[in-house]
Amino acid sequence: MSASLHGIGRRALLFGASVLFLAYVLAPVAWMVSSSFQPETEITSVPPHWISHAPTLENFRAIFTTGEEAVTYETRRHGDPATGKFIPSTAKNLLPGMGNSLIVALTVVVLNLLVSVPAAYAMAKVRFVGRSASIYLMLTTRVIPDIALVVPFFLFIRKLGLLDHLGSLVITYLAITVPFSVFILLGYFESLPDELDKAARVDGCSRLQALLRVFLPIALPSLVAVTLFTFLTSWNEFLLALMFTQTPASQTMPIIVASFTSDFTISFSFINAAGVLAVVPPIILAVMFERYIVSGLTAGAVKG
Amino acid sequence: MNAGALAARGRFRHPVSAYDQRSAMLLLAPMLLVLLAVAVFPVVYSFWVSLFDLKLTRPLRVPFVGLDNYAHVLRDAMFWASVARTAAFTVMSVAAIMLIALLMALLLNEQFRGRRFLSAVLLIPWAIPYVANALMWKWIYDSGYGALNGLLYQLDFIDKYMVWLGDTRKTLALIANAFVWKEVPLATILLLVTMKSIPADLYGAAKVDGADVWRRFFHVTLPMLRPGFTLVMIYETMMAVRHFDLFFILTEGGPADASHVVAWEVYVETFRRLSFGTGSALAYIVALVTFLLAFSIIRTLGRKL
Amino acid sequence: MARIKFEDVGKRYPNGFVALASLSLEIRDKEFLVLLGPSGCGKTTTLNMIAGLEDVSEGRLYFDDVVMNAVPPHRRDVAMVFQSYALYPHKSVYDNIAFGLIMRKHPKEEIDTRVRDAARRLEIEPLLDRRPHQLSGGQRQRVALGRAMVRQPAAFLMDEPLSNLDAALRISTRAELKQLHQTMQTTFVYVTHDQAEALTLADRIVVMREGVVQQIGAPDEIYEQPRNMFVASFLGNPPINYLEGTLARDGDDMRFARGELSILLPPHVAQKVSAQQGREVVLGLRPEDVDERSSPREGEAVHGRVSSVLPVGSDQFLGLEAEGKLLFCRVSKELHHQQGENIALAVNTNRLHLFDKASGQTLLW
Repeated sequence: MSASLHGIGRRALLFGASVLFLAYVLAPVAWMVSSSFQPETEITSVPPHWISHAPTLENFRAIFTTGEEAVTYETRRHGDPATGKFIPSTAKNLLPGMGNSLIVALTVVVLNLLVSVPAAYAMAKVRFVGRSASIYLMLTTRVIPDIALVVPFFLFIRKLGLLDHLGSLVITYLAITVPFSVFILLGYFESLPDELDKAARVDGCSRLQALLRVFLPIALPSLVAVTLFTFLTSWNEFLLALMFTQTPASQTMPIIVASFTSDFTISFSFINAAGVLAVVPPIILAVMFERYIVSGLTAGAVKG
Repeated sequence: MNAGALAARGRFRHPVSAYDQRSAMLLLAPMLLVLLAVAVFPVVYSFWVSLFDLKLTRPLRVPFVGLDNYAHVLRDAMFWASVARTAAFTVMSVAAIMLIALLMALLLNEQFRGRRFLSAVLLIPWAIPYVANALMWKWIYDSGYGALNGLLYQLDFIDKYMVWLGDTRKTLALIANAFVWKEVPLATILLLVTMKSIPADLYGAAKVDGADVWRRFFHVTLPMLRPGFTLVMIYETMMAVRHFDLFFILTEGGPADASHVVAWEVYVETFRRLSFGTGSALAYIVALVTFLLAFSIIRTLGRKL
Repeated sequence: MARIKFEDVGKRYPNGFVALASLSLEIRDKEFLVLLGPSGCGKTTTLNMIAGLEDVSEGRLYFDDVVMNAVPPHRRDVAMVFQSYALYPHKSVYDNIAFGLIMRKHPKEEIDTRVRDAARRLEIEPLLDRRPHQLSGGQRQRVALGRAMVRQPAAFLMDEPLSNLDAALRISTRAELKQLHQTMQTTFVYVTHDQAEALTLADRIVVMREGVVQQIGAPDEIYEQPRNMFVASFLGNPPINYLEGTLARDGDDMRFARGELSILLPPHVAQKVSAQQGREVVLGLRPEDVDERSSPREGEAVHGRVSSVLPVGSDQFLGLEAEGKLLFCRVSKELHHQQGENIALAVNTNRLHLFDKASGQTLLW
């Protein structure tokens, strides 16, 4: 129960509030989606057409095929009717960019779990010298702003010769996601009963086996939440990728997309289509795993 | 010499088993390595760099200047101006975020059909990358064909299309709006989680005491919410202070430095003016302040952060 | 095969707190040993040390003459039943029971036989496919027992396994545990704070308090011959009555005196305290050691005022105010006394306990 009203007044209030809620959250995205289906000629109408009168998939087709068309003066002059001849010069890098983002994000997720899960378990369930020191270390590293990493990481990566290599992103993203993951997992593991751990060890599990066979299956919501956070952070990260990547070979999706805005031969419909493509994977992931996020963030209660 | 023999002599007084210590160290080793990389290394190295006049435009001459870089930064009027802008941006954003998130959390705390749908939808702004967010709002703010202009024009609030992002008086507010839109979901979820942990008995007791909805809100909900509210506020403040992505994509610090915040200044100093020494000092100052702020809060709130 | 020996074992924390002080104990093979005491007395710590879940700070722990201090729990041959049962929530009942055997790499057929066998004995066969959250408390407890049983360990460790059950189930399960011990012929080490449980189940009881062992012995011995006031008061329900007073000489006899009350001490007691008149002592009187049928003779009578009458099914308890103290006595239902009545009860002087007031130690044995 909560502080609530009753009756029709309540229903009306909730309905109105829900509408406002949905409008606030969805309207900008909906507009972007709508724009992405409009041909260039329509998209530049004043006032705008909120829903397209002549929807087209040309913008999306352009994204998937720009790599194949040679961008010469001729093709640009005649152009593609849908995109109105204004395709950003970096357009063909979008899909490879997304590919890079995917590779980096998946690698970081895997490495993150390998690093964070054992550490969180050890800090939650094992008594050892240096336990509180480790916890403090983990907490304080969480608050280091990205800005502080800029110079040292840049110089270091440059020295290693890893500039413009996906590996540099993997290393740095790992460094920034691990503190958060450990923090979440630690809270969750601590909420799991100690006696489960003891039972597992008396039953014949070493510490590692207890973690793998007993705790991991139970900690699923937390693991999902952490995976989701790590993936999204890596997928969305911008500043560090900007620093470490210089050529399309290693540029990730946010960099490519950002380059569209600075290209002065802009095609609005194309950009919106690119934006939609960029947001589709994260949205799908987030919505799919929505219920794990809350339960994974807060310590769950497990009765055994 | 095994533990048993040591124990018999009364010297092994520590109640930590050797096996446990070994296991813990092995399990912890990867994380410690990573944290050393993200904590010790940047802090130490960037401080070291900040003591030199390192400019990538002339990489071979790197004189040691001690704390000169810091003095230079702290004397720079540009720096303080950017601090002021950062403060303005932060205050605006955090106030808006907390207000909207509170309202949304209150809504989601109620039971009604379709609530799950709203919860799922809520995650969309959180999930999308800042670059996409920036694109989206740039398109909405567009002076030629943007939705904002279109909407206001159709509703007869304006009679011709205006320039939005290019207007120095509006820039920070518009960027703040984009920032707020994306940050609200997480704040809402965190507040909601806190709300859900308020024991139902408190509301029951209040009702029996004759409290109506408003009273219950002010005397039960708000006070119980305070620690969570404070936590979220601190978190969002830290996010706002160090935010970079929107400033890069929407305005590049312009127009005429209207959105030239501290994060932007660090970027410009380091990657455009290529002065790594001063850039480092700048970054270090910002990091230090954020760090001290957070650390003191962690201490006072205990381990709830 | 499973003698467990504690040799001056202690457990001390860095902040100085002593959970266990210098325990020396030999648990015999196939014995049912109960560790009894209030919370914080160190009984669970001791049990955990046998399991290897807590480390030994001082002294040595032996299993059959092998020092076990540094051996981690998964390499010891013990099984444990926890107070909260600690069943694996994501595993079925079958998998819960089989887990220990799987970890120790027993062959599949053997595991299956043992699991079904144990399930049959505990009457939980129909539950094998269920998950813990689908079971009642009593059922979960049996699964926990089954999990320990199948391991056929050298020693069974139990940490207050019955305390979460309701009263009726607790008593019937107690009997089953006793039977289990007989059939399995294995060492049982059992922790509880319930003295009735200890008295029913144990071959020997170790009474503990604040990390220090108070007394070790068979249930009867501990009940009849408690070594100090704490042990005497911990066992027995309702607890023993204590009266402070002094020893007085009366010719060749010794008496216990408190105000008007004067109890003649029987010869075997008087012998032990003969030259100690004036010594401050505490008299211990168990509620059942009053005899209300005969008219009390001088020297064995307690006079007092009835302050409460509490019927308890087969008997009744009288609260008696005597010499400024409230005594509880168990009498038969046939006696009809009223509140406020002044009565006299005879005490069975052969069953009195006598303790030194300052140290709390018994003066009798």
